[in-house]
Amino acid sequence: MIKIGLKGNKTVYAFPRTKKGTKNKIQWKENVVAYTFLGPALLLLLLFLIIPAIMSVYYAFTDYYLLTPDIRKFVGLDNFINLFKDPIFLKSLANTLKFVVWVIPLQIGAALGLALLLNKQRKANTFFKVAYFSPVVMSLVVISVLWLYLLNPNEGIINNVLTYFGISAQPFLTSPKQAMFTIVFVSAWQGAGFQMLIFLAGLQNIPGDVYEAAQLDGMNKWQRFVYITLPLLKPTSIFIFITTLIGAFKLLVQPMVMTQGGPVNSTMTVVYYIYQTGFTDRMVGYASSIALLFGTIIGLVTLVQRKLVKEEDD
Amino acid sequence: MKKWFLVGISLLLILAVAGCSKDKSVSSDGKQMITMWVHVSDDSEEGKVYKKRVDAFNKKYASKNVKAKIDFIPRSGNGGGYEDKVNAALTTDTLPDVITLDGPNTAAYAKSGIIAPLDDYVKDQDDLLPSIKQQGTYKDKLYAIGASESSVGIYYNKKMLQEAGVNLNTLPTVDNPWTWDQFIALCKTLKEKYNKPAIDMQLQSKDEMLTYALTPFVWSAGGEILSKDGTKAEGVFNKKPSVEAMTFIQTMLKEGYTTRTPVKQAFETEKYPMKFSGVWTVTDMETNFQKVDYGVMPYPVSPKTKKLVSPSGSWQFAMTQKSENKEWSAKLVDWMTNKDSNLELSRTIAALPVRYSSEKVLTKEFSDQMNVFMKQLKKSGHARPVTPAYPQVTRAFQQTIDDISFYDQNKNIKKVLDTRATEMQAAIDKANR
Repeated sequence: MIKIGLKGNKTVYAFPRTKKGTKNKIQWKENVVAYTFLGPALLLLLLFLIIPAIMSVYYAFTDYYLLTPDIRKFVGLDNFINLFKDPIFLKSLANTLKFVVWVIPLQIGAALGLALLLNKQRKANTFFKVAYFSPVVMSLVVISVLWLYLLNPNEGIINNVLTYFGISAQPFLTSPKQAMFTIVFVSAWQGAGFQMLIFLAGLQNIPGDVYEAAQLDGMNKWQRFVYITLPLLKPTSIFIFITTLIGAFKLLVQPMVMTQGGPVNSTMTVVYYIYQTGFTDRMVGYASSIALLFGTIIGLVTLVQRKLVKEEDD
Repeated sequence: MKKWFLVGISLLLILAVAGCSKDKSVSSDGKQMITMWVHVSDDSEEGKVYKKRVDAFNKKYASKNVKAKIDFIPRSGNGGGYEDKVNAALTTDTLPDVITLDGPNTAAYAKSGIIAPLDDYVKDQDDLLPSIKQQGTYKDKLYAIGASESSVGIYYNKKMLQEAGVNLNTLPTVDNPWTWDQFIALCKTLKEKYNKPAIDMQLQSKDEMLTYALTPFVWSAGGEILSKDGTKAEGVFNKKPSVEAMTFIQTMLKEGYTTRTPVKQAFETEKYPMKFSGVWTVTDMETNFQKVDYGVMPYPVSPKTKKLVSPSGSWQFAMTQKSENKEWSAKLVDWMTNKDSNLELSRTIAALPVRYSSEKVLTKEFSDQMNVFMKQLKKSGHARPVTPAYPQVTRAFQQTIDDISFYDQNKNIKKVLDTRATEMQAAIDKANR
């Protein structure tokens, strides 16, 4: 430590590096503490996320077959060329986009609606909050199996209610036209509770006096919602939009449990297809190339989205 | 660089711990270990039988410098769990001496050099049922032997058939099967009487069951899924016999004789008069639905060829290429599938034996229903296609069934078959490269 001068009545020191390159002791100690805490998390991230991710980027350019791990050839862009000729991959990509486009407005709309309904201090509301949030806590597999029973074409409650009211029983999960929409509905129902809580937090952050002022100025309920609630909820909405979008792209469990990708591939999603090619068909190289391409697509979508949001802010 | 110091140390520690846990091939009493992985859990009936048989093996060869050890790695669904473990062991080079594998995996495992041929060690192969040899053979070499056999038949409710005016004595037998047309006539009678689907054909199962149970219709019509050497699907699967078989299945659906959305356990609870199912349903009927008086009839056959074909196959035992003690590993494979193992397993669960010698004993003990399966298997059992691309081939077949069951959208069956055959061909070409 070298004393280099006085600032006010405090002494100012400089901390030059010693010859060995060690920084001063205090900083070293701080680093040790910090990395001890970070260590386990970093290690796990490294082992289970970063290293596998790098490896799968490499595998994407090889013909890695699961049963012959020792014989691996570099095949350049072959996997990617095949991808664009693969009808099931293209179909799964279209299905995933279809799911995203439908589930986002439905899920976010439902979440916002519920949040608005519950945004009042009433005793009963605590019950409803818990009720709407409970599907989020449950395992997706359990939810899917549950809906499988509810939607059963013969014994399911839903079709029984429909027929009671004179509507013919619907082939919810067994028709290629309806299956994806059924999954959209189930997913929105399951996920909305989480976004509802975040919206609620956002709503409670809007100061009451803004509404009061608006009311004095003669704004009706609808106007207050459009001109005050929505704009002030924007930061919350952006967060919700991005997280929901990324989550929606990863759709896997619901079709896996409820439809196995059928009927006629109508609910085959990209992530499911990655699983299938990699683990059932044992084409690890090919599966990695799908994963790489799909990861890039999601990355790009997120980038574009952030850019759009930022521009609007300026 | 310092910041990575701790990370590095922790990594080293983990690697060191992992390194220590490598399997030893010598047991505590200094004997050579033969390790075996099986796909069932140790508290399942099947698992208990395997354990018993391994104990018997060790007892018999107690004087020898060898000891067998069994590890239970239960599978989930179609093989997940267990197969994941095998795949992981491949990458880390930690496969045991003996593994179990599902019948259709033979080709992929043999081609990849995971399992080793048994011919040099297992001499007595004449006692094995042909369907078992067919399933375990790849490129003329026997790689695996089934632990048990299986089959599918048509379960029928005696009372419901009689009430619909069917004389049970006129029903088909293995020696005198019905044609598809005769079977459809029976379905029509039952449908008219009960105004419900006559049979649950498990068309909704969307899994291996479809391939396993429905390919015999193609074979019966004189068709094939793949060419004999397993290299061609195009010009083989999309031929006339397949069209005929698919038309039969489609007719069953179209006329409402069967359904894609059956009521759960409709046969077991006497709602539908018939069910198309495997031999394992016998166990279910005998433990959970004892009140139902049921019989079993064989597969209906193509009216053109009148040839009875039925499915076969199940999980098998094989030794790995990695095994350092091939002689004893092969001996263990042979032991796990020998007459005594067959008897033990068949007496515990509704499993069919894989050997003529055990079949001879068991037919005297089996119920009438079990004997229909046994007789049908012996006469007409047909293994599934043998190809390294089996996962894709079976899926293409399952999707064919899926396609044709939407008959308004897929009126042209030949076109569906062409598309799916092309898919199969692409996968086969890739796998055989």
